[in-house]
Amino acid sequence: MHLNADGLTLSHGEWALCADGVFGEGVHLVTGAVGSGKTTLASALAGIFEPTSGQISREGVLRFTLSMQFPEYHVTGFLVKDEIRSWHLPVGKTLKKSGLEGRENEKTLTLSRGQLKRLHLTCLLGNSWDAVILDEPFAGLDCREKKRICTAIEEGNHPLIIIFTHEQAVLPVADFIWEIEGNALVCRGSVPDAIPAWKGAPRYLTRAMEEGAHPENIRLQDATEALCRMHD
Amino acid sequence: MIYAQNLRHRLLDIESLHIGGGHTTIIGHNGSGKTTFLKLCAGIELPQHGTLTISGKEPRAVDIGWVGEVPDNNLVFRTVYDEVASGLRFRRTPVDDIEPAVLDVLSDMGILHLSSRASHTLSGGEKALVACAAALALSPELLILDETDTHLDRKAADILETMIHRRPAPCILQCTHDMDTAACSDQVIYFDGGHPRYAGTPDEVFFHLSETEMYPPLWRIAECI
Repeated sequence: MHLNADGLTLSHGEWALCADGVFGEGVHLVTGAVGSGKTTLASALAGIFEPTSGQISREGVLRFTLSMQFPEYHVTGFLVKDEIRSWHLPVGKTLKKSGLEGRENEKTLTLSRGQLKRLHLTCLLGNSWDAVILDEPFAGLDCREKKRICTAIEEGNHPLIIIFTHEQAVLPVADFIWEIEGNALVCRGSVPDAIPAWKGAPRYLTRAMEEGAHPENIRLQDATEALCRMHD
Repeated sequence: MIYAQNLRHRLLDIESLHIGGGHTTIIGHNGSGKTTFLKLCAGIELPQHGTLTISGKEPRAVDIGWVGEVPDNNLVFRTVYDEVASGLRFRRTPVDDIEPAVLDVLSDMGILHLSSRASHTLSGGEKALVACAAALALSPELLILDETDTHLDRKAADILETMIHRRPAPCILQCTHDMDTAACSDQVIYFDGGHPRYAGTPDEVFFHLSETEMYPPLWRIAECI
């Protein structure tokens, strides 16, 4: 099962992004500067942005979805319970998972932005997908909720997950790291070998590596464990 | 500078809170009342009960720069240049002074290359930077940033932080989920269930949160070195 970007060029006016690569099974993290084209690439991989040239193939990927940066774009249910039912999920269990117990009769768009985001992600990750593309899944979430989403990503049954993010504090265990650099998608490789070459690494990871640590993955706990191992 | 007393509004319930000048960061879980409090400070909403004053005045009588959490909602004008110039035009700034002021703030923010771009073609992070530039161009008395950094990469967030220090408003009120950013401010207020539970210097507030996921990651790393 894989998602293949074959000689892809994505453009808006004079701006263009080139992407060539294969996203196989596992968790892929894609980072890049503001305006580098993360959302455009995510949209193209999900099939809602037409590439100027090249093609995207999805081998073995039958069910796939895109979580957009702004949760408001996904809302279809007037009340919270309607929104959950629109995803064909049980209301009570989903409310509990998203920490919104007792709020099923509230209007969906009166939830705070963070609450709406976690409801949306709980619903999306509560379904079964071959491939999930998440555009800035941690934006607007507090640290506790970011951790909960990371756990849902790590424990979920989605074979292929691509995360576009510039999150600096809470990240899930990742298998591959990609970066958008100089208008091109660059594969840094598999984790942990890719970590030293990762220019957009979070500050805590950079700091730990400056001290000579070799984290096994990209989470804060991986960085602290690597530092502790150095002192043992 | 900001003084709230017996303030009640939706889930907010603040008996008494005083925020001095400088850079104050509000932290807390989703739904703890952070954005509601910022909207009251900005005069976007009026409290159901109690008083909130800024330098002894009603919020709507104060010169406030507001950057909301949804980038799409912050931009109104067709191009980036017009967006940043709009506030100066509304203030009847002399025409000859507008262009240098706009280009200056865009340059400081590292987004001069976006000057002629149509606002609707910008990414979420670029929109956040433009909204900050528009607010900073007016040198407001109180600058309010509601989770602005959530859409920014590390470099852009660093530029914003530098700008805040280079063009300091007398009072900056920021809400963020980035605890490393919060740790660099003068004062931190931790909201919990609509109440300001802890307030003080970053050292004082994060001491109470040291066993939680809200402790700044860089502090956690420093403790391991």
